[in-house]
Amino acid sequence: MENQAKIADFDSILESRGVTRRDFLGLCASIAAAAGLSQMAIPRIAHALEESVIGAKQGALYPVIWIEGASCTGCTESFAQIETPDVGAIVLDLISLNYSETLSAAAGHSVEEAKAQTIAAGNYILVYEGAVLKAFEGNALRVAGEVGTSALVEAAESANAVVALGSCAVNGGWCAAHPNPAQAMGVQQYLEEVGVEATVVNVPGCPANPEWLMSILVDVVVMKDVSLLLDRLNSENKPDDIFGQTIHDNCERRGHFENGEFVYKFGSEEEAKGYCLYPLGCRGPQTKSNCGVVLWNNRRSWCVQAGAPCIGCCEANPANPGDNWVQVNTPFYKRMRDLRIGDWLVQPTVIGVGLTAIVAACLVVHGFGMKLTGRMDGGAPFEKIRKWDAKHPEKSIGKYDLTPEERQALAEKDCGHAVSLDETRGGQS
Amino acid sequence: MTRSVIDPITRIEGHLRVEMEVDSHGIVSDAWVSGGCFRGMELVVQDRTPEDAAQIVERICGVCPVSHAHASSIAGDKAYGITISNKARIVRNLIEGAQFLHSNILWLYNLAALDYVNPLNALNANIPDTYELAQAVGTSMNTDFYALAEKLTKFAENGQLSIFSGNWFGADEGTAYTMTPEADLICTAHYLEALKMQARASEVSALLGGKMPHVMTIIPGGCMWVPTEQKLDDLKAMCEEIRTWCNETLLQDTLVLAQFYGDALNWGKGCGRYVAWGVFEGPKWPYANYEEQMRNRYLPMGVIDENFKVTSVQESSITEYMGHSWYKGSETYTSPYFVTEPDFTSYDVNDRYSWVKCPAYDGRPMEAGSMARVFSAYLQGVDFVVDGVDTISDALGAQRGDLSAFQSTLGRTAIRQVETLYIADLMCQWVDDLMEAIKGGEEDYFKEPETITGSGTGFWEAPRGALYHHEDVKDGKITGYQIIIPSTWNLAPINADGVHGPLEQALIGIPVADIEMPINALRTVHSFDPCTACAVHVSQPSTGKHFETVTNPWGVK
Repeated sequence: MENQAKIADFDSILESRGVTRRDFLGLCASIAAAAGLSQMAIPRIAHALEESVIGAKQGALYPVIWIEGASCTGCTESFAQIETPDVGAIVLDLISLNYSETLSAAAGHSVEEAKAQTIAAGNYILVYEGAVLKAFEGNALRVAGEVGTSALVEAAESANAVVALGSCAVNGGWCAAHPNPAQAMGVQQYLEEVGVEATVVNVPGCPANPEWLMSILVDVVVMKDVSLLLDRLNSENKPDDIFGQTIHDNCERRGHFENGEFVYKFGSEEEAKGYCLYPLGCRGPQTKSNCGVVLWNNRRSWCVQAGAPCIGCCEANPANPGDNWVQVNTPFYKRMRDLRIGDWLVQPTVIGVGLTAIVAACLVVHGFGMKLTGRMDGGAPFEKIRKWDAKHPEKSIGKYDLTPEERQALAEKDCGHAVSLDETRGGQS
Repeated sequence: MTRSVIDPITRIEGHLRVEMEVDSHGIVSDAWVSGGCFRGMELVVQDRTPEDAAQIVERICGVCPVSHAHASSIAGDKAYGITISNKARIVRNLIEGAQFLHSNILWLYNLAALDYVNPLNALNANIPDTYELAQAVGTSMNTDFYALAEKLTKFAENGQLSIFSGNWFGADEGTAYTMTPEADLICTAHYLEALKMQARASEVSALLGGKMPHVMTIIPGGCMWVPTEQKLDDLKAMCEEIRTWCNETLLQDTLVLAQFYGDALNWGKGCGRYVAWGVFEGPKWPYANYEEQMRNRYLPMGVIDENFKVTSVQESSITEYMGHSWYKGSETYTSPYFVTEPDFTSYDVNDRYSWVKCPAYDGRPMEAGSMARVFSAYLQGVDFVVDGVDTISDALGAQRGDLSAFQSTLGRTAIRQVETLYIADLMCQWVDDLMEAIKGGEEDYFKEPETITGSGTGFWEAPRGALYHHEDVKDGKITGYQIIIPSTWNLAPINADGVHGPLEQALIGIPVADIEMPINALRTVHSFDPCTACAVHVSQPSTGKHFETVTNPWGVK
């Protein structure tokens, strides 16, 4: 490869620093001895430092290191489901994914070398997936003979930005749920604790939607302006355009909530009608994410569309592993959560029954309100002419006095302005 | 004698280390496999509901989440005494099948194939010859090979290696990767097509489950998804698209690999005993008892000994030992009553060296996975599987019915395609079955429990092999949860009798020419498709008390 660092280049770098090749090999020997390696290993280390295993250190592709901490690989998997562009195009045309435990061709010390060289070359972003584990002095996660936390620190220190991808990376996720036996926590909190200064972008979700990560790559890699990304972050370092509104705000079943039309049993007829899943515990009203807008898997569906209540998997407070989505939201299919005091647990049934009654009563009242204001079938008729149109007849684009024939003709022409075919709804556009 | 270490093993799920002793003839004489991550799932689901557990345990693994949600839901069904409806059975089979297709396609092309295929060598391909070769072996030509070669050239000219950084394509002094540039180009095209096709299979899971990974609609009592006409045509079309691609591509490419890497038939056997709990509930639902249910699955249950004799599973024959793992004590426990407490000491292959415990059946290590399922189905006469296995036997020049021909690294890699093709076919059949069931207007998709106290075991399969979930439930809350994951069987450390686990046994005897890049070890590890994050598990709450008060019990802010 043309851009590859050659031995000659390397020698000249050494020379410029006043180091001879012989000094350098001596240095390698002392590193090897310190690491407890035999003399046999020396040529390999020298080889590793001299030759680039990542090819050109910079180029048309943006270098990315993707580390899996205590992960299920679900966020990598999720990213592998991305379309337009698909993941094949991304790793060949957009980013140089120099380290990925799931996709890298290399293994063992070779892939570790690739990571070390990417860090040394700089100008990369780090994607960290999975929780940070502190139990057993970090030995709850061991990679390449080291504790997992040291790999994080090493890669985070020189990164242009650190993306904590998925709820586990944001605050430990389910791993941090009671009793948190592995002492899981999020990336931002861990780096603060050990005093590493890094720009952490928190992208919760279990898993994170690939479009969310892609939107970050658009800022950093396509538009090449990290400040665009920083401008999007809220006080929890989450992109506000993604995590600023609730699921409920944009829910496709929201109309049925307003109408007081609910699903009370899984897999029921009401479910097929797309009624609201609130009584089955849906966490849409308190979970901030744009799932219902961005959708999942080639925009095929999302939880609520498939009939599953939101279980709040994007709930993740980066400052507190105890506020992980499992702890906050279980039991998922009930509207009230369990009280836990140490190992003592109570489902507040009595309080709960009272609360359910209040909620149900409120919803009924809400439903009546909808009916009275004509926002439900059989209610008051809609306005015959939109008020704005009546006020500004010269600017109105609505046609209000069509014969049924004209209406039909217009509809068939598929003309620009909306024409209602529904006689009973008058001429609303 | 020298040591060769691969850490981390890439292109798998989770964190795995392999350490090998290589003798003076370049043959592995001893091996130790170490799982590197402990999270403690069983402790987290303690005191939560079985419905919550199905959603939480699924997060063990992002590659095979459906199987965990499914096995947990089966355990919940059993604990509650619910027989799910026929329609729910079909929907669950479809979600599971879509995940198997996703996982098997991803594994073959995107995880395992880079041990055999060198996409950088594809740059040297002669394009007309490539078309000729593809036609000769009968594999699919959906990709424009000219355009792909151009794309790869542009990639190479830029010089950054991306996912090929640090590759082992030059291992064994350049003799490890033996495919011609034309064959490499075809397989690289299929690598990229497979990335799209595995995503297509996940799209089926998402249609039925909301999203993938971590589907949302499988629950004790049935499923939440209800089919509508708008969705059924999408479902049918996607299943047919995947089946067509698999039929045109999988076996043909496997036979190409076999031509270049025939020596991989000579090593990597493993322990030679297999467990499969069976997967995809059968068509004559419901069955009289659990054993009938497991025997009549589309891929049936079977415990297979070294002479290929098949028997039914006895739950009490499953034990776990942890004397070489990072847990307190050295006892052997019998299913489903395991007690373990994590306790890291140090990495020492002569003592404790893994977070993975050592399960056994009748006191001996067992291999789980696709090969176990296919053997079980073959030996019990599942027609599609018998035909598929015989076809590969013919192509490899092996005698029909001699399953020992597959007990190797390449055999394990090849035989899985029979399963993938079978499932691709079944998916289309199940869509038709679902439409029939809808027309028949059968019962609901979900049944409420009548009792919320009991115990249940979910014997099931993940793509990586036999999966076991057990739960004890009292008043709707879990009092004990136990999981034995496929890779726990395969990645087991040395047992109480000093016998190595299945992957360790498979590694012993393989040729390693270059201890820096032991490519044959990597090929052997990938033939098992290991999944380490889920392989590590514990049970029984630790005694440490955490005092934590939740001030807002409604969860509504």
